[in-house]
Amino acid sequence: MKQLVARAIVLNRTDYGEADRILTLLTPEFGKVNVLAKGVRRVKSKLAGGIELFSVSQVTFIKGRSGLGTLVSSRREVYYGNIVTDIDRTMKGYDYIKRLNFMTEDVPEAGYFELLCITFAALNDLTIATSVIEVWFGMQALRLSGHEPDLHRDSTGEPLKPNMQYAFDIDTMRFLQAENTGTFSANHIKMLRLSTQATTPHVLAKVQGGTQLCAQLITLIQNLQRHSGLIKL
Amino acid sequence: MHVLFVEPDINLARAYEQAILLAGHSAVLARTAQEALFEADRILPNVIALELQLPGPNGLAFLHELRSYPDWQNIPVVLHTYAMPQAQAHIKNLLEAQFGVVSWLYKPQTSLAHLQMILESHGMPK
Repeated sequence: MKQLVARAIVLNRTDYGEADRILTLLTPEFGKVNVLAKGVRRVKSKLAGGIELFSVSQVTFIKGRSGLGTLVSSRREVYYGNIVTDIDRTMKGYDYIKRLNFMTEDVPEAGYFELLCITFAALNDLTIATSVIEVWFGMQALRLSGHEPDLHRDSTGEPLKPNMQYAFDIDTMRFLQAENTGTFSANHIKMLRLSTQATTPHVLAKVQGGTQLCAQLITLIQNLQRHSGLIKL
Repeated sequence: MHVLFVEPDINLARAYEQAILLAGHSAVLARTAQEALFEADRILPNVIALELQLPGPNGLAFLHELRSYPDWQNIPVVLHTYAMPQAQAHIKNLLEAQFGVVSWLYKPQTSLAHLQMILESHGMPK
């Protein structure tokens, strides 16, 4: 049978029998793949090193007829080890894995693999605030799923103005003019635009006051994802 | 009762071990998450006392790994840690609901006798 080779991130693990595990892998080439990893429950398993979470591995597997493949070999390429030295980052990391697993249920795309790789790399860099990563991840997830909010025109179709305060209308996915009550300024909107365009959260971290702006945007970003069905309710 | 202490400070760990042994139970020490998984596999503890702040992968990573195995789902875990529950309030619910953490003891305010009592209340075979 033909062996396939891919870079992979483990999204989920389930026990199968005494010593085997079923792994859900996210790959750029084949999307989401379920494989049976034999014998990995044993502590000294040769496969175990390559199937840790927060790592990217090169895996070789055979596709199965029933949709369940078999893992032949696994070699770890990158391990984002700093993530698990910090409790908050560990929690965030697991949360992103879970969200990616949920998001990619129907539509596996190469972009999601890259999104998770870059998110791990950012979490691994202890100088980047988790609020910055959260905003970047959220905007990228919205972009990939086609639920990007309109960051150029307000709810009436007028271009967004730099000196206006805005609220956000979740139903139209546009900002609403709210001169006295709005919580979002031009700086917040610029940060959202940058989050969509930047290829890594490192870019956002370099913006002066960026961490604070991102902290203020987290609730909006999470609501947008919930509304778009990207976060389990 | 078999207790697994996941504690990076070896002197502290030995003190806990002595106390547990004197009370007629058995104790095994592990300094890291990896060692702890190995020992859990070897002795199948009745209860685990866990410091969240470990060298290398932290206690949360250990809990994720531990709970990913069905036969380790029901081992009660007592957090005995320098991480203050108040400072980690955002993960407290998650730890209790998802990872079966049965008690959170702030190390500087927990006596050895209290730790032993909590471990016995959760770890004694019923």
